[in-house]
Amino acid sequence: MRIPKLAAVMATCAIVLAACQPSASAEPSAGASAAAGGECIVGVSWNNFQQPRWAATDKPNMQETIEAGGGTFIDADANLDSVQQLTDVENLINQGANVLVMLAQDNQAILPALETAKDAGIPVIAYDRLIEDPDILYVTFDNIGVGRAEAEAMFERVPEGNYVLIKGDPGDPNASTFLPQGWDEAGLADKVASGEITIVADQFTDAWSTQTAQDNMEAIIDAANADGVQIDAVLAENDSTALGVVAALQAKNYDIVPVSGQDGDPANLQNVAAGLQYVDVWKNSNELGKVAGQAALDLCAGAAMADLAIPDGLIDSSVAPAAGLGVQDFETPNGTTVKSFILQPTPITADNLDLVIDGGWITQEELCANVTDSPPAACQ
Amino acid sequence: MVDAAGSAPVQAQVARGTSLRSMLAATEIDLRLFGMLIALGAILLGFHIMSGGTFIQPANMVTLAVQASGVAIMATGMVLIIVSRNIDLSVGSIVGVCAMSYALLMTDWLPAVGIDLSNPFQWLIALGLGLALGAFIGGFQGFLIAYIGIPSFIVTLGGLLSLRGSVWLLSSGAAVSGLQPDFRKIGGGVSGSVGDIVTWALAALACLAIIGLIFYNRRQRQRFGFPLRPRWAEILLGVVGCGISIGVAAFANANYWPRGLATQYALEHGITEPPGGLQIPVGFPWPILLVLGVTVVMTFLATRRRFGRYVYAYGGNPDAAELAAINTRWTIMKTFILMGVLAAIAGAIGSARLNGSTLDVGQSDELYVIAAAVVGGTSFAGGIGTIPGAVLGAFVMQSLAYGLSYNGVNSPTQNVVAGIVLILAVAFDTFNRRRGGGS
Repeated sequence: MRIPKLAAVMATCAIVLAACQPSASAEPSAGASAAAGGECIVGVSWNNFQQPRWAATDKPNMQETIEAGGGTFIDADANLDSVQQLTDVENLINQGANVLVMLAQDNQAILPALETAKDAGIPVIAYDRLIEDPDILYVTFDNIGVGRAEAEAMFERVPEGNYVLIKGDPGDPNASTFLPQGWDEAGLADKVASGEITIVADQFTDAWSTQTAQDNMEAIIDAANADGVQIDAVLAENDSTALGVVAALQAKNYDIVPVSGQDGDPANLQNVAAGLQYVDVWKNSNELGKVAGQAALDLCAGAAMADLAIPDGLIDSSVAPAAGLGVQDFETPNGTTVKSFILQPTPITADNLDLVIDGGWITQEELCANVTDSPPAACQ
Repeated sequence: MVDAAGSAPVQAQVARGTSLRSMLAATEIDLRLFGMLIALGAILLGFHIMSGGTFIQPANMVTLAVQASGVAIMATGMVLIIVSRNIDLSVGSIVGVCAMSYALLMTDWLPAVGIDLSNPFQWLIALGLGLALGAFIGGFQGFLIAYIGIPSFIVTLGGLLSLRGSVWLLSSGAAVSGLQPDFRKIGGGVSGSVGDIVTWALAALACLAIIGLIFYNRRQRQRFGFPLRPRWAEILLGVVGCGISIGVAAFANANYWPRGLATQYALEHGITEPPGGLQIPVGFPWPILLVLGVTVVMTFLATRRRFGRYVYAYGGNPDAAELAAINTRWTIMKTFILMGVLAAIAGAIGSARLNGSTLDVGQSDELYVIAAAVVGGTSFAGGIGTIPGAVLGAFVMQSLAYGLSYNGVNSPTQNVVAGIVLILAVAFDTFNRRRGGGS
């Protein structure tokens, strides 16, 4: 008797969950009817719209760039479902897409869709997430560069002293490898070797949890106090951990020392505005959308992947790839070489908060909600 | 035969009258609880040595206790749930939903109806609504379990998933920050503590309560002709109880304001700082007082009220309880309502500590809460478990996490240790019970 009951519960759960999904799911955009003629149709398969950024910044910039270049933009949202994404890609091809842009839900599960596209002779752009295949164009931000930007900003502010390192989930290669590699490229290892910087504590944070980061940071502060050590700066890998670090500093009534982070989460940008977090490395996804849109147009027009380049003036110079505007080779972790555009992240401090407002990432009202005294320029 | 059987225990007691075990038995202290206190002490001492003698000091112990407070508060409710042969996997997600609700109520929803951050009652309204939400969620799940008959594992597993998803839907995936300063006091810290005078007063009150209870207890026993504790045991209990209350208060008061803050206070109040810096005692922080209050209330509920006795009766033998005309369904539903409220309190502490809420507040708390209850001696077979034991269990678990973190041990190792201790504690308990049952 238990099993039917359980099944009924599961079914109810499934129905309830399905009903809660945003109604926009998997609904191809209106562009389908305009597919006639030999024009350029760019099909975009998003893995989700749950994360606000895709619909808020990536999509409109890509769409604008494509439509300004005379192309047609169609898209579908797979709602975090890799099977749905396969159907979406087929639908986009059936609607006449000449180029596909894919934000893969799963970089393995997407491979059949990639094969379908390649069989149909349609070039594929892997957007923000890598797809392991030599024929794709990879458009993303420099993840090691994020770590580099965090550390560079912090070293400028606190060139020497006692640092605490707050890393993310130990199982995530970003936390254990890429970001620390960026820190070292910015000179962390050298400064430690020369004695300019002392590492007071170095701690991982399970699941990037804010609460865990707070608990760990409180223990680190207690230990430092007991040893009579003054903490001068905290290199936190991302925004969720930085939020926990700031909460710990406040809970302990510790000096608000410079703290780093990345992601440009609204709560953290508010902290930057309120003087509680020093730097937040931001991936300006507006620019990423433009680059992908322009590359799609060029591929439509028949350009070879190896000849692609970002036109001058398309994107803000601060995010331009370090290696130049031309397409670059990128070696994937599995050793495949793909063509790529790898943009630079932007370190945001109280001095350049206007960038996130101008970029449409956050409104001034929201950004400055918690500012009490000495507001930064962007809040005045 | 009857005479011999009646007098034998007395003789045995006299014969072993000097052994520590029988002296402890005379004081009627719960040996399990006593053993756990010893274990907790040993763990703290171990970390003290590991840290080179800096670990056991007021500031650190206060941090530890504040970090354990949410799990400790929820563990008191989980005891009743497990005792009545159910489980609640959704508590971490209830914490998440409530924490996010407090944050959104204060920053978004209440200001939208004209009650903004400057309104002194705003945080109370938010707190009240959050507690009501917790009670409602717990009540709804309890209804499905008790009246519809869906297994609690399934209902609360569904709760775990759907409520965590609701946190996301509530906030559209973003962290929220900037709570009302009064609300943040629930999370402790210097401003969220009661100061030295109140701390002393509370200790004195606790001391009086202990002595009063001992006298009341003795009189009741005399009245109903129950065996009395030896007089020396009563005095010992009173002295030790008072000593602990006052000692803890002194310890909490030996935790001083951070130097910078004290200097600022001195400047603002025109006090010249003494050479060593102004030493302002912090006293008990609110989360610890909440833990103490909840522990007392829950222990009273569990041991002195009809509801609590019904829970244990049901846990011991559901059929017998039903046949004894206990309204078992309503009793079970009430345990879940209570659990929801306790999770909402834990959510208030969590969001107050963070000064906001993130998507992952309370994530996997259910595991720590269940672990705390089990380490504290609650049996999955039902009918067995104490509230103070579960609170101690929470402190044991958190002291491991905090101590390892304090000594710079990385989180994967922390998890390994926490897991091993959980299994060891239960294994030890099972072993003890089997031996106890055999003799």
